[in-house]
Amino acid sequence: MTKTLLFAAAVAATLGSPWAAAQGAPAGDAAKGRQKTQMCTGCHGIEGWRTAFPEVYHVPRIGGQHEAYLVKALQEYKSGERSHPSMRAIAASLSEQDMADLAAYYAQGGVKTASK
Amino acid sequence: MTMQRRFLIVSFALVAFGAAASVSAADLAAGKAKATEVCAACHGVDGNSATADFPRLGGQYADYLAKALRDYKSGQRKNPIMAGFAQALSKQDVENLAAYYAAQPATVAAKH
Repeated sequence: MTKTLLFAAAVAATLGSPWAAAQGAPAGDAAKGRQKTQMCTGCHGIEGWRTAFPEVYHVPRIGGQHEAYLVKALQEYKSGERSHPSMRAIAASLSEQDMADLAAYYAQGGVKTASK
Repeated sequence: MTMQRRFLIVSFALVAFGAAASVSAADLAAGKAKATEVCAACHGVDGNSATADFPRLGGQYADYLAKALRDYKSGQRKNPIMAGFAQALSKQDVENLAAYYAAQPATVAAKH
């Protein structure tokens, strides 16, 4: 039994570090995120704004979206897994910390509009 | 108003009506039924998902939601969970679901 526990502890220690590294996304700072929205507001800051290329549809509302989902979306644009040209270019310029900060800021909620 | 101009206006109106009619109107009740059956476990019946892994959909733009579903279905947007669900949706399902979640209380909004 002790051996089993020891083995388990050893496995956990071995696996622990890379797992922790993968999980160790930087914590987001909403105040800093607010300083980094210059590239976002032109589309996501305008209610009713539409994309022009490659397909016309409303730019999604992201104020109030889950923080973890926003980080994931940015990471997927940066890696090329998600394909919108503008978002790929913008996300490519963001560090992990930038993404965390922006997600923390946008997760706080959006502007209330007359319609919704 | 000249006869010609009147003819032009009527023609435009007919073309516009035709374009609108070619896409069947979204059915919110059918959207809700499908949402309850397929989407609600992760996104919530009203689109206000309680889990950070699953985006909030309530009050999102319908055309963006429909595009996301089409992209999951075509494989342009890759997500092992959504790919399976989107595959099973018809074009009409996509329109109904997008309209239904867009019509739910806003969980997301534009933000400066």
